[in-house]
Amino acid sequence: MLSFLATDHWYDLRDLANLYRVVLEGLDHIFPTGLVYVLTALLGFIAFFVVFVLPSQLYVGVYGERRLIGRMQARQGPNRVGPLGLLQPVADAIKLLQKEALTPRSADRLIMWAAPVLFVAPAILIFAVIPFGPRMVFADIPVSLMYFLAISSLPVIASFMAGWSSNNKYSLFGAMRIVAMSISYEIPLVLGLLAVSVLSGTMSLQGMVYWQQDIPTWMILIQPIAFAVYFIGVSAELNRTPTDIAEAESEIVAGYLTEYSGMRWGLFYGMDIAYALGASAFAATIFFGGWSLFGLEQWVPPWLIFILKTYLFYFVFIWTRGTLPRLRIDQLMSFAWKFLLPIALINLLVVAVERLIWTSNDLPDAIVWAFGAVNIVLMVGIVFIWAKVFKYDPKKRPTKPRLVNEPGGYRPVDLEQGGPSL
Amino acid sequence: MSGFGITVAFWILAALTLASAGGVMASRNLIHAVLFLIVAFLGVSGFFILLSADFLAMAQIIIYVGAISVLILFAIVLTPRAERDNSETSMVLPALLLGTTLAAVLLFVLYDANWNVTNVEPGLSAEVLGSALLSVWVLPFELASVLLTAALVGALMIVRRQEDEEGDSAS
Amino acid sequence: MSEIVKTEPFVMNIGPQHPSTHGVFRVKVTVDGEQITDAEMVIGYLHRSMEKLAEERTYTQNIPFTDRTDYLSSMSNNLGYCLAVEKLGGLSVPARGQAIRVIMAELQRLASHCMGAGAFANDTGAWQTPVMWFNRERERILDIFEMTSGARLTCNYMRIGGVAFELRSGFEEAVRNLLPRLQQTIADGQELLAENEIFIARARDVAVVSPETAIGASLTGPMLRGSGVAWDIRKADPYSGYEKYDFQIPIGYKGDAYDRFTVRLEEMRQSIKIVEQALDDLPGGPHSTEVPLAFRPPAGEAYARIESPRGELGYYLISDGGPSPFRFHIRPPSLINLSVLKEMTVGASVADAIIALGSVDIVVGEIDR
Repeated sequence: MLSFLATDHWYDLRDLANLYRVVLEGLDHIFPTGLVYVLTALLGFIAFFVVFVLPSQLYVGVYGERRLIGRMQARQGPNRVGPLGLLQPVADAIKLLQKEALTPRSADRLIMWAAPVLFVAPAILIFAVIPFGPRMVFADIPVSLMYFLAISSLPVIASFMAGWSSNNKYSLFGAMRIVAMSISYEIPLVLGLLAVSVLSGTMSLQGMVYWQQDIPTWMILIQPIAFAVYFIGVSAELNRTPTDIAEAESEIVAGYLTEYSGMRWGLFYGMDIAYALGASAFAATIFFGGWSLFGLEQWVPPWLIFILKTYLFYFVFIWTRGTLPRLRIDQLMSFAWKFLLPIALINLLVVAVERLIWTSNDLPDAIVWAFGAVNIVLMVGIVFIWAKVFKYDPKKRPTKPRLVNEPGGYRPVDLEQGGPSL
Repeated sequence: MSGFGITVAFWILAALTLASAGGVMASRNLIHAVLFLIVAFLGVSGFFILLSADFLAMAQIIIYVGAISVLILFAIVLTPRAERDNSETSMVLPALLLGTTLAAVLLFVLYDANWNVTNVEPGLSAEVLGSALLSVWVLPFELASVLLTAALVGALMIVRRQEDEEGDSAS
Repeated sequence: MSEIVKTEPFVMNIGPQHPSTHGVFRVKVTVDGEQITDAEMVIGYLHRSMEKLAEERTYTQNIPFTDRTDYLSSMSNNLGYCLAVEKLGGLSVPARGQAIRVIMAELQRLASHCMGAGAFANDTGAWQTPVMWFNRERERILDIFEMTSGARLTCNYMRIGGVAFELRSGFEEAVRNLLPRLQQTIADGQELLAENEIFIARARDVAVVSPETAIGASLTGPMLRGSGVAWDIRKADPYSGYEKYDFQIPIGYKGDAYDRFTVRLEEMRQSIKIVEQALDDLPGGPHSTEVPLAFRPPAGEAYARIESPRGELGYYLISDGGPSPFRFHIRPPSLINLSVLKEMTVGASVADAIIALGSVDIVVGEIDR
């Protein structure tokens, strides 16, 4: 196992936990002892949310996303406010603060007011368990995986409250869709992550990073099915294309956010980005080795490695949003229940057997590479069989119309040739 | 379980849980009632955390808040508006009777039980819980899962039979 | 739905203020859960009384009105109206004028289908990217229109007896530079949308119009051809010298939204072929015949029809021998294509209704006139 070389000096920037400890000790001298709980929470909030999440929201979530999607869509993106448009997110925030937050007369005022507030709280809580470095984790609890899943199931309720209280039919549609989606995709998501937990033998995110550092490997190579299930499930929960049916702009205007305006809407928008960042950070931790990078973390600050991995994963979210069309709700439902859930269950079974073989025979760590190979073959095989069962053959489907030279009536077509549809 | 912070947290959680449980009863609007119920569930999971039962607390949030309450909300929204409000029914008296009896039993147990103070470290980690469920308590565990499966199949049957009848009458 | 587990149907307005109604158009749908049980179309929000206004103006003064009916294809509207007046007055158009008209009408079809295909992709949820890609090329076509007629959207370029101006120098080069780019964009649309798994899942077998319904409802254009009926006015009743050009009619397989989309893409390829042929042998001579400013066609009536990007665009004129038409009527393809929307949406989900509406490719300015 590679030892971590960072020292205990507060100026050792490779591990910011030292700085945090020094500040906390200093504050503890000034204030009475009873306030230590509040101080810790406040410092954690500042350290993780204000220092990392807020700038990331503004510059990766708002500015970066708009610039990148602009490039994908053959346009410039924001470039007027400040150099290269860098002040655009600030201007956006000021504009949102100035706008009036309207409440429809027939809305449920209290719930409509409470929904954005309840939407924000889990977004802050979610970063408490994410390890930014060997000692840079705010709450290193043994069940941090469960904690992440528990906290990420809360915003659904806030979204539902927003949609229901607006007393708008589009909002209600959005609320019903988001509830149905989250119930369906939560199950394969949890099963997929359970497989990861079974293989690594821990439910702590920090423990998983150490596990990947020890082998050394990345979980995505060992557990490709779990990663695929996680990615699809989390993009469904986050309302990202191709699964953004809860705020599908072309169908139900803005879904549960239709009646929201001003900073109330801004809170939803900003915290959506924070959840996407949280999901990216979680994926970077579990599937991409977290803050470790095959020994390089001794020289480069581990938190920098981690943040870069998070941003890279967030880029994938931006990318899918800029390219893919949206699926219909029944297609998404049947995909979750008929494909993701069985595949996650099969994966869990296979992983449990692998773990049993590994631990009961006391095999070396390198055996996980063999497991990884087995899992990749399994994934390809399952997808292949699934395609066979549903007679999926893209080459047989005509993607261009027939061409005729002379006008006339109906030209009948052999419907077999018309192609099977999914 | 000691310390100033834990005491404060306990009383805050107790007040929150009781107040929201009262809200569930008092609220006329069913959606409000469910939202109060969610707050009560969150309060209970707070108690689990105070008892160092992290795993149980997280499971409480995932299952009760994340799944069950959301399902209840979904069911309420889908039911016709006329049947949605929490109006007076003839079941008030039996409900009061049942509630009083239950409260009496609980209070009696509370008073009668012998609350021992032990110095054993709380060891309710996920591993201990998992191995206990699959060794000592394996029979109740499996029975519970069979019961839940039966409930699931039963729920499916209720909907299914109705559709079949419709199909029969149509043909 | 069963007796015990029942949901509450409710009425929902899609439009007139909705991102996907492509203008101010409203559908009143009754939904049960996500399923539409009834749909009622409400039109008239953009009514400008053009047909009545046209009776007060001279034949030449009416040309700008036609720009503003189907505002995404003003050249085609100009052409249809001028053909009707020429038929009424027994005028003929010189060969060069006819060829220029064909080039402009086909470029207009390309521009309009760029918009139609992009907007339809937007309805499937491909968030703005295809719209922007297609619109980039549409802007280049509009640049050529601006170069020729001075206006981008409401060109007002055709005149009775020909076209308003001679082509600018550099026109042919600009068009020839543009066509390969358009080919590339169409190929991108084919690969990224028509062969995209999610797109196929959304558009295939959605909003199916059977050939019987399509013919019965007198649908035209890509709506009719998508249902597998080979019908194109350019072939069936050639005008403006279309019989000289070699092109084919694309027809679909099932009559669903996907077929309509691919038919539009294929029509764009065919249009490029026509423009190339027309440019290759562009005849010399005058671009227009001399027509008196206060043109008084003999009393009588005339109906001229063209294949506009949306279908059969007809102009019906009655003259009483005066300087302005006695009766001026437009057969708008959008309105008639839209009439099957109820058949397409009832029984479908809200998401599919949006797809159905998007696949019709309506222009509300033409529906309400």
